[in-house]
Amino acid sequence: MNIIPCSIKTLKGLYDISGVEVGQHFYWQIGGFQIHAQVLITSWVVITILLGSVIIAVRNPQTIPTDGQNFFEYVLEFIRDLSKTQIGEEYGPWVPFIGTMFLFIFVSNWSGALLPWKIIQLPHGELAAPTNDINTTVALALLTSAAYFYAGLSKKGLSYFEKYIKPTPILLPINILEDFTKPLSLSFRLFGNILADELVVVVLVSLVPLVVPIPVMFLGLFTSGIQALIFATLAAAYIGESMEGHH
Amino acid sequence: MATAMMAATATSCSPRRAPVVASSSAQPPRRQQQQQPRRGLKQLPGLVATAAAAAVAVAAAPLPALAEQMEKAALFDFNLTLPLIATEFLLLMVALDKLYFTPLGKFMDERDAKIRAELGGVKDASEEVRQLEEQAAAVLKAARAEIAAALNKMKKETTQELEAKLDEGRRRVEAELVEALANLEAQKEEAVKALDAQIASLSDEIVKKVLPSA
Repeated sequence: MNIIPCSIKTLKGLYDISGVEVGQHFYWQIGGFQIHAQVLITSWVVITILLGSVIIAVRNPQTIPTDGQNFFEYVLEFIRDLSKTQIGEEYGPWVPFIGTMFLFIFVSNWSGALLPWKIIQLPHGELAAPTNDINTTVALALLTSAAYFYAGLSKKGLSYFEKYIKPTPILLPINILEDFTKPLSLSFRLFGNILADELVVVVLVSLVPLVVPIPVMFLGLFTSGIQALIFATLAAAYIGESMEGHH
Repeated sequence: MATAMMAATATSCSPRRAPVVASSSAQPPRRQQQQQPRRGLKQLPGLVATAAAAAVAVAAAPLPALAEQMEKAALFDFNLTLPLIATEFLLLMVALDKLYFTPLGKFMDERDAKIRAELGGVKDASEEVRQLEEQAAAVLKAARAEIAAALNKMKKETTQELEAKLDEGRRRVEAELVEALANLEAQKEEAVKALDAQIASLSDEIVKKVLPSA
């Protein structure tokens, strides 16, 4: 009879350690507007990691690259390859956008899985991957939309809008709808995947704290990388699509 | 925390329950309609009004509680975070471009160009090497020919010398032979002369002895 309350107590303790907080935010107020402080804090950490590692590795490039430089050269070649296959020969100016998109999302996702955010206690809510918040993913998706509109308009001028009545004007509603579904699908895919991944890990940890969640954690790392790749690839594909000419 | 999750599921359940209640309250009048269609037509506006009122009441009742829970669990809570993240992203893009993409990309392109140029240079050098090899072969050939010529010349000279020496030796030997033969001849003639003289005296004596005082 004594065992059950005790185990319940330990279970409750475990829940307290590995509790799930969905949609709990640590709010800051700026000029009457609310912001999610936890997202901003983690995004700063991510940005610091990115800029710091880049500065350390690429500060003084060698002709025969050493470890860090080698890695970042590989990453740059990867991003260039990705942009080139999706955008075509005029990929050059878009490398920073696609690359930053990929790196930011990738490091954000992995930070949620690898960095021990739980060590830092917030008054409300908890620290997690910045991509865990719908604001971040929607911001990135809207930037992608803006980017492909800019790409199309700067390449073709106003004749860019001719694509809405191609191949026939009957498709006009669908073509317009596409401009809304693109950012929607981009943002929700990323948000849903990352949130679901972290939730699965947290729930599994709360049920079986040892060993069992580890494969799921690795799966989460894999998914995170894939999601970053998908987001960057799709962004590049949209930009390439709006730049390609049918003439 | 976990309690928040449970609360969320509870609130998600309650609005589902509400429409069921509403529909069950709306069904009896419909049955009445089927049974008595003529009267039902007259009553219809009133029934619809009551059903609508009930639905509104049911829909309105859980709203405050739902709103409270939504405030607690705000998954789709758009606010100033969105533009801030967008700005941060743009700043990060500019910074990464300045620190990473442009400088390292330029560096890699330059290195590529340099390596390509050096490879081209190496190809040119290989042609040079071939020319040099040909030259070396020619030089070697010439040297070999020269050496062969020199060897032949030397051989000829030595054979000539040897033959000359041989000739000389032969001539000397022949001369000595001739001399020796001449000596022998002279000695023979002397001997023959001496013999002739002896023969003459001997024959005189023989004649004297054979022909006594003739």
